[in-house]
Amino acid sequence: MLEFDGLTKSYGANRVLDDVTFAVAPGTMFGFCGSNGAGKTTTMRIALGLVRADAGEVRWRGRPLDHEVRRRIGYMPEERGLYPKMRVGEQLAYFARLHGLDARAAGRAADEWAGRLGLGDRRGDAVEKLSLGNQQRVQLAAALVSRPEVLILDEPFSGLDPVGVDALADGLLEQVRGGVPVVFSSHQLDLVERLCDSVGILARGRMVAVGTVPELRQREAGRLLRVVVPDAPRGWAAALPGVRVVSEQAGDTLLALDAGGDDQAVLAAAVRTGRVTHFAWREPTLVELFREAVADDRTPEAVAA
Amino acid sequence: MSELRTPSSAALVRMVAGREVSSRIRDKNFIISSVVIVLLLLGVMAFQVVVNSGSDTSRLAVVDGTEGVGPAVQAQGEAVGLDVELVDLPDEGAARAALEAEEVDAVLLDGGAAPELLLADRDPTLEAVVGSAVAEVAVTGQLVEAGVDLQAVPQLGVTTLEGDDEADGQRVVVAIIGVAVLYGLLILFAQFVAQGVVEEKASRVVELLLATMRPWQLLAGKILGLGVLGLAQIVLIAVVGVTGALAFDVVSVPGELVSTVVTVVAWFVLGYAFYASVFAVAASLVSRQEDLGSVLTPMTILLVAGFVVAIQAAGDPSSTLATVTSYVPGLSPLVMPVRQAAGEVAVWEIALSVVVMLVAIAVVVRVGGRVYAGALLRTTGKTKLREALRAERA
Repeated sequence: MLEFDGLTKSYGANRVLDDVTFAVAPGTMFGFCGSNGAGKTTTMRIALGLVRADAGEVRWRGRPLDHEVRRRIGYMPEERGLYPKMRVGEQLAYFARLHGLDARAAGRAADEWAGRLGLGDRRGDAVEKLSLGNQQRVQLAAALVSRPEVLILDEPFSGLDPVGVDALADGLLEQVRGGVPVVFSSHQLDLVERLCDSVGILARGRMVAVGTVPELRQREAGRLLRVVVPDAPRGWAAALPGVRVVSEQAGDTLLALDAGGDDQAVLAAAVRTGRVTHFAWREPTLVELFREAVADDRTPEAVAA
Repeated sequence: MSELRTPSSAALVRMVAGREVSSRIRDKNFIISSVVIVLLLLGVMAFQVVVNSGSDTSRLAVVDGTEGVGPAVQAQGEAVGLDVELVDLPDEGAARAALEAEEVDAVLLDGGAAPELLLADRDPTLEAVVGSAVAEVAVTGQLVEAGVDLQAVPQLGVTTLEGDDEADGQRVVVAIIGVAVLYGLLILFAQFVAQGVVEEKASRVVELLLATMRPWQLLAGKILGLGVLGLAQIVLIAVVGVTGALAFDVVSVPGELVSTVVTVVAWFVLGYAFYASVFAVAASLVSRQEDLGSVLTPMTILLVAGFVVAIQAAGDPSSTLATVTSYVPGLSPLVMPVRQAAGEVAVWEIALSVVVMLVAIAVVVRVGGRVYAGALLRTTGKTKLREALRAERA
């Protein structure tokens, strides 16, 4: 397990992380969501030892991360970082050596990863001569070249075209199949929903939701009911007990039911108004879950991951 | 996996140093600057050779010379810094022919009652030298004839306070050239270090690097790598310079030359360690190459001041300014070699200066290392010195 346990960090009076806790099992992908400035990058930097936490620690296989363990982490920083004038192949080999491969193994690994990410014929070019998409691939290769046991990627998909996104996603899924826990942050929630086994939502430095996407849905499901009653007068559901009207437009009504709300009573009331063309629990998208989680500042109700 | 080993600190430092060397050695600017420095040095020596051969030796043919007139001319010539080479020719005709053919610069016809000097062109120095030599020989002859005991004429004993003037002068010239090279290389390589630090910050690659190593390992590797390159370059320049000077016969005291050059190289090592560290730390405070100038200026001024004082010290090595500045860290690598070359520096003075410099380097590395570590990950704008120090402690 890769465990982030109670990470807390303040810059002066500004508390940027408050008891951030989650765990990523080997061979799973964890999507890290949150608004800008929520603290995702700080969390990852703490894992890499670039920022010191005020409290809490990150553990891999039960062992707190130290310099030696961190060498087995593949990292992709938010702000991309490569030597602009250094050749692709040499650069990859250099990072492989810094992670502990000997010179020969590093050279082989550099060739292999350049080839696998479609950079085979660009190995001799300086990084600055490559397109942004290709630079991104080199960046990923630099994270993978040392065959890391853990991958921590800060916004790996930003700035990629759809083809690049697919290529990167395939690459990450392959790592996951090989048993590597992958943590990545992203604003592309559809992508997170598609790829990740579990998701964490960070808001103002606190984890407001952690769990698998179905788990998060279940938590929200049972609350949102969509009823389409074309002939109903406006406000037809307003008087029902335990029911709040979220939106109502030409009979297309979104209702939030609390614990005392009875879905069957809603159905009965709907039938009384005339035709009912749609009646279903609404499955929220991750985007909606995210909006809701980030919007109200509740205490984290972590669902067991 | 199993092939992964944790590299030791030394291995990491070596890797960083190796990358610096291999990327710099392929840099066009570096290659061009190296070639230019060597060419410049060869040019200076070639110029020396041309200047020396042009004016300082005169060939004088003496016909029917009075006994002793030749050596007298040479002695007089030496007094005014003119080498006179004597050529013996049998008669006036041969001498005139030699003069026409420009085989000699002048002919002294000393046979008749009135000695005569034939010249292709007027040459006031040679005229004066020959004139006084002839007069001296004549006066001596007449005095001897008159029975005057020449032993009674007091001989003037000459002692210079500065020791052997010519050798010292040469050493000082070598020291000035050496210090000029040293100054140029210090600026060049300290700038390389500073640019490298900013490049890593600007390209954010520093974040990847620091995930695998500590700041001091990165700093040490960078300074060592470029230092090795700088040392190689100054040694190359020294070897070319010394070899060239000996081959062209520009210097007369090879031993002194070599010792001065070795001194300069040794001071380069100390100066580089100091300036490279200071420049690296200053550079770590900014995140763009454009901001580099503003943080490097104070240190560059110190370096320029050292150079100016060194040139001034060459003229007056025992001045208070030179003496004091030869102990000031940062200035001493430029001033002390000149004072050493001029002589008159006791061993304890050199030792003191070296120790002060080493202490300064230790302080810079300690304090600077903390600033560097604290500022390295602040990749936005300019970091204040105090913030950087605080950040590291936090």
